[in-house]
Amino acid sequence: MPSRQRLLGSGWRVALPAATYAALAIATAAIVARRPDVALAGHSSLRLAAELAAGALLLLAALAARRAPSWVRALLVATAIAWLLAEWNTPGAGGGFTLGLVAYAAWPALLAAAALRGPADRPVGRPEMVLIALAALTAVGVLGIASAFVFDPPGEGCFDCPTNQLLISGSTNAWRDLSHAGLALTAAWSAGLLALAAYRVATSSPARRAVTAPVLAPAAVAIALFAADALHGLDRGYLSNDPTDRALRSLEAVALTCVAAGLAFERLRTRRFRATLTRLVVELGGRQGPGGLRERLARALGDPDLDVLHRRDDGAGWIDAEGRPATLPAGDSQEITSLRAGGRELAALVHRRGLLDDPTLLGEIAVAARLAIEHERLGASRRAHLNALRKSRARIVTIADEERRRLERDLHDGAQQRLVTLAVSVRLARRRHGESDSQLDRELAAAERELNDALAQLRDLAQGLFPAALDEEGLAAAVEALAEGTPRLKPGQLTDRRFSPAIESTAYFVVAEVLRLAHDGDVMVDTTFDAACLSVDVQTASDLGEPPIRIEDRVLALGGSLQAKPRRLTAELPCGS
Amino acid sequence: MRVLIADDEALLREGLARLLRDAGFEVAGLCGDAVSVLHMVDARRPDVTIIDIRMPPNRRDDGLVAAQEIRRSHPEVGVLLLSHHLDSRYAMRLLEEAPQHAGYLLKERVSDIAVLTDALRRIAEGECVIDPTIISRLVARKREEGPLDALSAREREVLALVAEGYSNGAISEKLFLSRKTVEAHVSHIFRNLDLRESPQHHRRVLAVLAFLRSGRHSPEPHA
Repeated sequence: MPSRQRLLGSGWRVALPAATYAALAIATAAIVARRPDVALAGHSSLRLAAELAAGALLLLAALAARRAPSWVRALLVATAIAWLLAEWNTPGAGGGFTLGLVAYAAWPALLAAAALRGPADRPVGRPEMVLIALAALTAVGVLGIASAFVFDPPGEGCFDCPTNQLLISGSTNAWRDLSHAGLALTAAWSAGLLALAAYRVATSSPARRAVTAPVLAPAAVAIALFAADALHGLDRGYLSNDPTDRALRSLEAVALTCVAAGLAFERLRTRRFRATLTRLVVELGGRQGPGGLRERLARALGDPDLDVLHRRDDGAGWIDAEGRPATLPAGDSQEITSLRAGGRELAALVHRRGLLDDPTLLGEIAVAARLAIEHERLGASRRAHLNALRKSRARIVTIADEERRRLERDLHDGAQQRLVTLAVSVRLARRRHGESDSQLDRELAAAERELNDALAQLRDLAQGLFPAALDEEGLAAAVEALAEGTPRLKPGQLTDRRFSPAIESTAYFVVAEVLRLAHDGDVMVDTTFDAACLSVDVQTASDLGEPPIRIEDRVLALGGSLQAKPRRLTAELPCGS
Repeated sequence: MRVLIADDEALLREGLARLLRDAGFEVAGLCGDAVSVLHMVDARRPDVTIIDIRMPPNRRDDGLVAAQEIRRSHPEVGVLLLSHHLDSRYAMRLLEEAPQHAGYLLKERVSDIAVLTDALRRIAEGECVIDPTIISRLVARKREEGPLDALSAREREVLALVAEGYSNGAISEKLFLSRKTVEAHVSHIFRNLDLRESPQHHRRVLAVLAFLRSGRHSPEPHA
């Protein structure tokens, strides 16, 4: 996008139509001046100026409507040119006389085609296509070319008319019939167009109506005026230049000027909206939090329920600004519009029905908000990844805990029980045989001592794996139990609250791990619950030495935070609701 | 004396039954889970029931729950809870409701027949029994400067035995002291710890246990 927009754009696309129009306007002025008695503008230079100005304004507005599809712009340029040619079927036209005969009634058909398509490039339905085809056939086919084949100017009493180059065989009857039929058809298609235009405007959403009406309404008026002229000429059999014709021609000029104004209005509206939107997007700035874009767009578009959803990176499904999985609503009250730029789907706007029927508006949003949307999409995508990662880490913690719990149970129900059974068996053997064999008795006694040592070690191992107190009575009981076996651990204030197993085991792990890291000296523990957060504060008499990475991993896996000083560690664990 | 044994390990309860029979006990029954032990106690009324703390159906503290149930439904039936847990809180849970006729021993003690029979006899007589390892851990607990520091080594020894559930007579036998001396030690200890000396000896066990468990030197409030 250039930083400064020119009003009309540049290059031959502007120069060529403008030069053509200028040349034809000069020629038209000359034709009118040569034979004002038969010209539609007549002797009034004001009328002539109004005619030329209406065409010029329409041409300029068409060239300036840079957002309009090029088809529509071309049709409007053609309308402006054909508008001039309506003056060319007179004796004053000289070499252009034949062109005048062919094209004098073409402009309403061209205008109809342009207006039905509209500046916002609405899809053209079958009724529109039929109407446009009928209008073209009537204007250029019946009134233009076919009539020219049989129109012999001297035969119709025009002795100073230039030569009709298309004349095949002059026939007054045929010409009158064709002309009559052409005028009747003109009235018919015009009526059809008016009805269709009224229907389209009435059934449009307000947003679309705001785009369509400023151009379609004056165009319909201009065409209606031409149809009125056709009806006026029906009795006579042809279009002519009586005062009524001339008055209608002047009104048509006014209507065409209004079409030009409508196009200019559309351009202004687009620019104004883009400016608003750009300002909003700039306002979003760098410090925009998730969802900021949604609010700004909702305000700019006036739909408080508006939502912006982003495609996931893998293309499967949607996420909101926070990165949470989202689904597109299926209800009737809301509509979903895909926001595209550069052939890529940027986002989906969920909004009130009909709010974004205006494709220009949509294009503006895509252009102006593209960076902001892209920015937010990246943020949302990053948050989605983070969420997934956090969940996965929490799962790993939970699985590890379950594994330790299982091991503790297995040790307890398996090895410990077996060893006790073995100790009882050894004792039985001693009773049966030890009294008669003192050597055997000594060896069995040694075995008993070994067994008891093994049992004590197993008990410590099981307790270290997962203290039974943690599951059964919670963090405080487990820390107290740990302190019974580790005299240098001094519990301070311990909250009696119960938390989720992952939180409790992590808090316990923090205490046990600090106890391991601080090789000697007292360790003081306080746990407090405040603002949905469990805080574990551990103070040591000796430096902790190595950085507590294992602790950090576990605490962060639950979305908590860790403050580590050489002799103090504080873990904050969010307990949710 | 009639003893009932509840342990989910069949070999262990068989071995234990043989050990006890050899030592002159009558084995009133064997069972392997926390539900059937209740029925068996009800039907056979043993003098003491030996119960493993971790048993089916849940393998958590089912044995402890069953023991508490027996204490409530048959106060005259003694309960000896066997456990792999060194935490004093299990012992406390067993004793705090009704401390007489109850005991808590580490499981490996069962092979030491002298300890086991001593515990069973004391429980049958209405005393309470707590594993010495648990008590020694409690006494060794780190405390801030407190009344425990004012006790002599001998007095600490006496305190530990009181906590394990021994009567003054038993303590005097164990430490080869005269009964009078033990009584003097005990009242000095209780004054120092600011505990009330109860005439019922298992009440004083609870008081001492609670003091030791608290881990803090603030004296127990007089209830």
